[in-house]
Amino acid sequence: MASSTVEITPVPLTVEQSEAMAQRQIKKHHVAIVLLHWFNATTWLLELSTGAGLIVSPYYRFAPVWYLQMMEGIFGSRANMLRFHIAVGLSWIAVFLVYAIFGFRNFLRIEVLQHEIGLDMDDFSWLRVRTLRLLGKNQKPLPPQGAYNAGQKLFALAVYATVPAIMLTGLVMTFHWFGAAVVAWAMVLHFFAVGMVVSGLMIHIYMGAVFPEEKPAFYSMITGMVNELYAYRHHFKWWREVRLEEERWKQRLVDEEKKRAGALEKSNDDRPAMPESSNMGKEKL
Amino acid sequence: MPRYAMVIDQERCVGCQSCTVACKSEWDVPNGGARTKVRQTGTAGQFPKLTTSFYVSQCNHCDRPTCVPACPTGATYQEASGIVRVNRDLCIGCGSCVAACPYSARYINASLGKVDKCDFCASRLEKGLQPACVATCPGHAKIFGDLEDRSSDVFRMVYGESARRMESSTVAIGPNVYYAGKSEHAELALASFAPVPPRSIAAATVWSSLLNKVVYLAVGATFLGQAVAFFHQLSNGEKQFEE
Repeated sequence: MASSTVEITPVPLTVEQSEAMAQRQIKKHHVAIVLLHWFNATTWLLELSTGAGLIVSPYYRFAPVWYLQMMEGIFGSRANMLRFHIAVGLSWIAVFLVYAIFGFRNFLRIEVLQHEIGLDMDDFSWLRVRTLRLLGKNQKPLPPQGAYNAGQKLFALAVYATVPAIMLTGLVMTFHWFGAAVVAWAMVLHFFAVGMVVSGLMIHIYMGAVFPEEKPAFYSMITGMVNELYAYRHHFKWWREVRLEEERWKQRLVDEEKKRAGALEKSNDDRPAMPESSNMGKEKL
Repeated sequence: MPRYAMVIDQERCVGCQSCTVACKSEWDVPNGGARTKVRQTGTAGQFPKLTTSFYVSQCNHCDRPTCVPACPTGATYQEASGIVRVNRDLCIGCGSCVAACPYSARYINASLGKVDKCDFCASRLEKGLQPACVATCPGHAKIFGDLEDRSSDVFRMVYGESARRMESSTVAIGPNVYYAGKSEHAELALASFAPVPPRSIAAATVWSSLLNKVVYLAVGATFLGQAVAFFHQLSNGEKQFEE
């Protein structure tokens, strides 16, 4: 099969095609990413709930007093809560450091990031159409998307911009680096950066876990797999990449089979060559 | 419950700095910091009849402390006895309270990276001892006691005599360190070291007046957005097979 048989733009699927694609699972997430995602989610849950309980000044606090008292009760004292907040935060930094070192080649190289979370023209029109569809003002089809849609990309960009700031300001406060003025600004920046992420998190959690059209994306964060129909409809450009890769893989198998058949023909001239459709495994036996 | 207070008799203080030294050694105060210090005031009168005095400054354990609400984490708190204390386990060393104190009673302990100040030697009080500075003062210029105890010296000096608080027309937050002696001594101290109105550090101002609102707005907007979409989803129902 030549790669040209893979569509360049989405086409209407037949019933049989849709059914077959809905059954076929393709791999979306590396197991390391699945684990990292849920480690990260747990960390955020713990850090947000303790962090909110640590800001008690009437000038800045946003959690009600009963929440502050409840959290203090759970941890025994606010000092213990701060120790816990710091311990979880430091292990969060440590895990992401390991990820950054060992996962750099696969996940963090600039080419990889550009490919996965760089916005293109399709993404900008996706953002417009998606918003209009959510508001029920428009039923136009969404422009084809890569492995991540424009909303996911925007959130990822915000996270990549703020998470290093959250980590750095956390370290400054933990170890009282660079004196009072820097610690004070670190405290403010820590709050602001977290606030920006939480703002995006509202959409991220709703779209990922609740919104019906994206349900397969939620399960893909558990199994690592999505069905092909979902990939075709929601991440067409990524689906095409996967298909092209599959075609190349098949082509390699066909080439190898031909080579083996040729070699066999030479050694057994009297025997006729096997037809091309024959089972490779049997031939090997 | 006691209500601790201190009276400093400016007539008896000779400015020897014994209290400063006792405090420094008691609390391992590093160079450049001070929980208490003795400073000379300006002068009053005409030569040759000049008067000067000494002003002993330290934490006043105010009735309405401005440092307590300024502390983001609640590391600075007030005990029922009136003593304002710092919980070092919670202090991150941001300096908000240092700026909020009208009496410059706080400093950042550079070796800890955390704030430090007088706590009336709370750990000595628990053992039944007087604060280190009071115990060491050779002129008995520092008197410490409980204002709830009517037989105490501080009660007599504060309510019976004319010991006064170091308050001004702009800053009156109920300090519990009183100054006794001639009124001109207190006037001299007030003229040179009047309490400064509580300040707010730039970062804290930006936080409470701007970034707080930006974050509330951003989080509120996205929460509302997903809430609308969620109710839309609930009212329309979900399809078994999406189109």
